[in-house]
Amino acid sequence: MPELTYREAVRDAMSEAMRRDDDVFIMGEDIAEMGGSMGVTQGMLDEFGPDRVRNTPISEMAIVGAGIGAAVAGMRPIVEVMYQDFMTLAMEQLVQQAAKHRYMSGGQTKVPLTIRTQGGAGWSPGAQHAQQVEAWFVHVPGIKVVFPSTPEDVRGLLWTSIYDDNPVVFFEHRTLYNLKNEVPEAIEGMELGKARIHREGEDVTVVATGRLVHEALSAAKEAEEDGISVEVVDPRTLLPLDEESIIGSVKKTNRCVVAHEAVVRMGFGAEIAALVQHQAFDYLDAPVERVGAKFAPIPFAPVMEEYVIPHAGDVLAAVKRTVGKE
Amino acid sequence: MSSQVTLPRLGQGMESGTIVRWLKSEGDQVEKGEPLYELDTEKVTQEVEADASGVLLKILAGEGEEIEVGKAIAVIGEEGEDVPDAEPEAKEEPAEADEEKEEEPKEAAPKSENGRPEEPDAPAAAPEPQADDGGRVKASPLARRIAREKGIDLRALRGTGPEGRIVAEDVERAEAAPAPAAVTAAAPAGEAEVIPLTGMRKTIARRMTEAWEAPAFQITMTADMGAAIRLREALVARMAEGDAKPTYSDILTKVCAVALMRHRAVNALFAGDEIHLQPTASVGIAVAVPNGLVVPVLRSCETKTIPQLAAERADVVQRTRENKLKQEDLEGGTFTISNLGMYGVERFVAVLNPPQAAILAVGAIEERAVVRDGELAARPVMEMTLSCDHRSVDGATASEFLRTVKQFLEEPGLAL
Repeated sequence: MPELTYREAVRDAMSEAMRRDDDVFIMGEDIAEMGGSMGVTQGMLDEFGPDRVRNTPISEMAIVGAGIGAAVAGMRPIVEVMYQDFMTLAMEQLVQQAAKHRYMSGGQTKVPLTIRTQGGAGWSPGAQHAQQVEAWFVHVPGIKVVFPSTPEDVRGLLWTSIYDDNPVVFFEHRTLYNLKNEVPEAIEGMELGKARIHREGEDVTVVATGRLVHEALSAAKEAEEDGISVEVVDPRTLLPLDEESIIGSVKKTNRCVVAHEAVVRMGFGAEIAALVQHQAFDYLDAPVERVGAKFAPIPFAPVMEEYVIPHAGDVLAAVKRTVGKE
Repeated sequence: MSSQVTLPRLGQGMESGTIVRWLKSEGDQVEKGEPLYELDTEKVTQEVEADASGVLLKILAGEGEEIEVGKAIAVIGEEGEDVPDAEPEAKEEPAEADEEKEEEPKEAAPKSENGRPEEPDAPAAAPEPQADDGGRVKASPLARRIAREKGIDLRALRGTGPEGRIVAEDVERAEAAPAPAAVTAAAPAGEAEVIPLTGMRKTIARRMTEAWEAPAFQITMTADMGAAIRLREALVARMAEGDAKPTYSDILTKVCAVALMRHRAVNALFAGDEIHLQPTASVGIAVAVPNGLVVPVLRSCETKTIPQLAAERADVVQRTRENKLKQEDLEGGTFTISNLGMYGVERFVAVLNPPQAAILAVGAIEERAVVRDGELAARPVMEMTLSCDHRSVDGATASEFLRTVKQFLEEPGLAL
């Protein structure tokens, strides 16, 4: 099996779709000659030319709005918003237009748009470039939200997102771009709404997303030395959500920790906690624990950033709280 | 400068305690006022708070170890600080110190960092009760489900989870433990099971042996409970939602308290060369717990209504079952009632609860054939046996008291 970095896996899915399908094209800030500020689209201008690899002005509202227009007109655009922090500027287009066209036209129009965006902390980008805002979008009926954590998943899920007839907000994590792993020879689309169980365990289920999947896996390794068996579940898509896998796992382990990089308060973990208490109430042997960033802007200073965002140690502590071994 | 944590005296007569569980480990940061360990004293298990802030440098007393009051059990100080290797000195508290029960184990008071002596009374500051949870048993949903399915009473279990929560493991352990009856039945083969006398059982053994030294006598009377039954029905009919349901025990508590105030010789404590007549009737009620018996005290019962007593009784019984009684709940009783009626016991003789002068043993209310005005009638009756310490009370006094109790039960209006 070939090995790809997370960055190469994203590029692979887009390039393959563009080779296969003339309707697919990409646009965004500095994605053409420069190859994207994170280097994801490097080389694509040479292969596909300026009509299909389009640089845009610095206006997220225009980027997403143009994407919606192209999608409604029959294309399968992939637009890039350089930092998810700047999704704030495209909110009206996304929430009021993209999410509602299909519903308000009685199904006569569809919006097969993929909005790729990236971000997250851990590399000192400062308060305006480090947030993890995926929870905002899960609150909006009419869009899908995907957040893969491995090269194989990011490729398979991006492929499915491109070919989904609904708007998809596709989150990539900045610190995962260089993560290298084996991927299948050919791209296989992965169904949205299917979790991946990264590690099986008996005592505690950790539901983690993005970077925290990897933090949870190292916490699980440490917990094992203390005799605690941890199961790590990555939902991979936040909307639709694989409730069955999460509930099944919690019913087995009787304990649940949710972990994400976004702030704890009103984070995606709150939704998981509510789901678990409702559907697995009689199976819980401890309160659901939540792990996430402290409720503060992400500091620029590296030591302070480290302090604010969650790491494996925080996941481990939460795991221990659930088994009463604090 | 590190400071020693010594075993505090949490109640009068407490001479030793057993550390059930350390809530902090060596190396942990500890804040003054934070629960530090669970202590099993003579009758209750309670959390004891740290009396100093710092790092828990060393634990000197292991879990399960019985420690005398005043002995050092741990050292709190600054991180990296050397623990003075001088063995913790046993600061012997003379057993007679009971008289100065207010006095704290002050000899252990160390100087703090700045040389200022620590508050001498800090170590024995009254422990806070566990967070009030409205009398509900704290158990995880899973533990509740398993208990429901297996028919296990959660109130009889002790939680080992965070904050004393009963978790699934506790229920499963209880289920795995053979029922007491099964033990006796299955015992013949092999060796006898040895149960070390600790904590509550030790106290029961000591106190009951003490009681046996008292010259005791018993008198019995039977009360017609027809009026008491109607009274209880009326009280139950009037109770508001969420109120504790008044029981015959509550009526009995009230009636005895009023009778005690009219026969104060019975409301007495025997103190060697003195008899102390008590100004108010604080009635202890015997409550069975899985491994023994405790007698929490309801105070000044003569001043309270039956619904008030019912509420207090429900609260104290609940806390008893949850192992959350405080030492003070068990102190200050002037009279005790032991009711085995719910087990169908007709009559029994209770052993005195020294230094109290008397204890009332109450049997079941049952229909019996009695002769009324020359006619045979079926009446609900209840037998009561009063055990008295003859050093405090004589037969006639005791009989007058018991007759008053009987009259109050048969005609509750007389207790007004």
